Amino acid sequence: MLSRVADNLYWFSRYVRRAENMARLIDVNGQIQLDLPRGAHIAWRPLVNTLGAGAQFERLHGGETPHEADVVRFLLVEPDNPVALRNVVSHARETLRTVRETLPQDCWVAINDLHLYIESNPERAGSRRHRPEFLGRIVDGCMHVSALLTANVSRDTGYQFLRLGTAIEQADMTSRIIDTAAAGLIQARSDDDAEAFQAMQWMGVLRSLAAYQMYRRHLRQKVSVELALEFLLKNREFPRSVLFCLSRIQGILPQMPPRRQVEQVFRGAMGLVFDANPTRLAVVGPGSFVDRLQQELAALHGAVHESYFQA
Amino acid sequence: MDWTRYRSSTWDELVASDGQPRPAARPLLDYLSGLSRHELTERQLAADVTARVMGITFTVYSEGRNVDRTLPFDLIPRVIERREWERTAAGLRQRMRALNLFIGDIYGDQKIINDNVFPRELLKESVNFRPQCVGVKPPLGVWAHICGSDLVRDADGTLYALEDNLRIPSGVSYMIENRMVAKRVFPELFETSAILPVDNYPTQLYDTLAALSPRPGDTPVIALLTPGIFNSAYFEHCYLAQSMGIELVEGGDLFVGDDDVCYMRTVYGPKRVDVIYRRVDDMFLDPEVFHPDSVLGVRGLIRSWRAGKVALANAPGAGVADDKVVFTYVPKMIRYYLGEEPILPNVPSYLCHDAKDRAYVLAHLDQLVVKPANESGGYGMLIGPRATKREREKFRRLIEADPRNYMAQPTLSLSTAPILGGKEPEPRHLDLRPFILSREDIFVTTGGLTRVAMQKGSLVVNSSQGGGAKDTWVVDLEEAA
Repeated sequence: MLSRVADNLYWFSRYVRRAENMARLIDVNGQIQLDLPRGAHIAWRPLVNTLGAGAQFERLHGGETPHEADVVRFLLVEPDNPVALRNVVSHARETLRTVRETLPQDCWVAINDLHLYIESNPERAGSRRHRPEFLGRIVDGCMHVSALLTANVSRDTGYQFLRLGTAIEQADMTSRIIDTAAAGLIQARSDDDAEAFQAMQWMGVLRSLAAYQMYRRHLRQKVSVELALEFLLKNREFPRSVLFCLSRIQGILPQMPPRRQVEQVFRGAMGLVFDANPTRLAVVGPGSFVDRLQQELAALHGAVHESYFQA
Repeated sequence: MDWTRYRSSTWDELVASDGQPRPAARPLLDYLSGLSRHELTERQLAADVTARVMGITFTVYSEGRNVDRTLPFDLIPRVIERREWERTAAGLRQRMRALNLFIGDIYGDQKIINDNVFPRELLKESVNFRPQCVGVKPPLGVWAHICGSDLVRDADGTLYALEDNLRIPSGVSYMIENRMVAKRVFPELFETSAILPVDNYPTQLYDTLAALSPRPGDTPVIALLTPGIFNSAYFEHCYLAQSMGIELVEGGDLFVGDDDVCYMRTVYGPKRVDVIYRRVDDMFLDPEVFHPDSVLGVRGLIRSWRAGKVALANAPGAGVADDKVVFTYVPKMIRYYLGEEPILPNVPSYLCHDAKDRAYVLAHLDQLVVKPANESGGYGMLIGPRATKREREKFRRLIEADPRNYMAQPTLSLSTAPILGGKEPEPRHLDLRPFILSREDIFVTTGGLTRVAMQKGSLVVNSSQGGGAKDTWVVDLEEAA
């Protein structure tokens, strides 16, 4: 396995997973907006920060209060937004293009098809009526690629890098989506509304992670901040929970060439999640915990990068 | 589709001058006649979508940007009868044997020069002669393992060799993918006709490369060295690496150790490479020996190759025979090395370094095609009958300044085949590029890549200049009967 190829496989799976999570997140928030009473609305702006595009958004749109359509278009299809979903998919395609020979041909066909779909329908992102179908198609496209990887790729070292990329990206996106709720997306009209909206918001978070149904099945309780955090951070069975992703990484590392630095950093991240206390986080807000978690995940990425890709 | 009015101004591959289909093309034309214009358009659309979805692209350089284009694909295949193809393939094998002997001789004893068959001064002025290769004896005595020869047919039906691409010929992946598209579009015809398959090329290429390994006995580690994603043939590099299951590497993935062995950088640490199918030009292969500022190559690669630690295909320096002036000597090479008469004729050529030929060329610029010796891709040539007076004067000056670098050929009327035009089939000029693999024996593809000028009347078929492609069918009439 060439270092360059491993690097690209890792990023390919990260980009695919990122695109899928972004599409779900934006879709769910669009749906919530429709359920809100008149006068309450989704503050889309914090979403931009959570996805790491705050500075670029300021440059393009300045200080004005943005309209929903502007933000959504910016997040989905703005060519000058490097983290726009459109560009994430196109990065996935470019990354795979350079290592195309290592994956089955149909993976290339699938990502190419998704790329062509987005490039020929960007106007659908801005239209409320067409957006759900547009985003649904993107989620499907990403899941199609994942399914091809799972079903058709040999379990060699390259595959471990694909899995590693997916696991790190999902842990990261789960933490970012938790962060969107922490930032308080729904702007309430009054304090009375606030409590009702909070439940709605956390349901939105669960839905964005395709976790709502699983949450109900596991917990058989209505949604509370504490239980949602418990579920998304520490559930051992739900595949998008942070702990699940980290356990998956724990299983992957022994199948790769051993590197002490990676194992060390990994233990740090695992420890942080083990020690997390959802009850307390529900009270003080998950914001600063999520920041630390993202730092740990960034450090893990850094260690992987140095140990395997730059050797 | 209506063929009754289809006529070509020259030899047509599918339809004879009396408007009747050629025997090998009859089932195809009967079938196409039964399709409505609408059905054909639908199939052409399906073919375009297939090509786009499969990502069959090449890169063109325009306005300082690299743009990915799909190679225009015309639905109507070009058909060759099997017996004719077998004669042609025999001619190609003969050429390759002579060319490899020539290259080995040039970097060895130079007998052909000492025997006054090939002029020494041509070698001195050749930009593709590599002094660094003198004295090297590559495995099996083969220098040009992979060759793409261009064949053209004149108005009288004679098939000529136009040039032999011995450096880094490309296009073979289009040949294979065109067939995949054609099978999706015309499944009925593949069931009823004996169309010979083309998809064994990657297996043959793998065997050709594996035979070069300096560690016989062990499974060789083989890599395809690409200049990277911005190269116009990158799609093909991926395609071939993938279908052979070998590593696709860039210069930065390789290094040569103090032990002269070439290694890949992997996640486990360095791994030895035995054979490199390089798709990087000689001059960029090794900054230690060639262009010192090349970032595409690998420092020390030539050292490793000379030490026999790694095999390179094609061998550096093989391009010495890929030169439009050297080309004119191929018939002499065949007689000299093999004692045989050439099976495939060369396109008649005039060499501008020869005073008599030069006088003829300068007097007939309006009738000839003038080509620089070392350009490829159809760049820098003059098509006399279509050129303006000013362009012809420019070439007159170029030739007088550097006669060795120019040769001229009569303007062949290049045969045609029908493409799906506006309302009716329309004739377009085309050529054929078969691929030839040399090891102990010689393998020739079944047919090759048919390149077609999509513009009416145009004689330039190169993809970089608006050419397209067709599937090429070698049809066995005896089996079908």
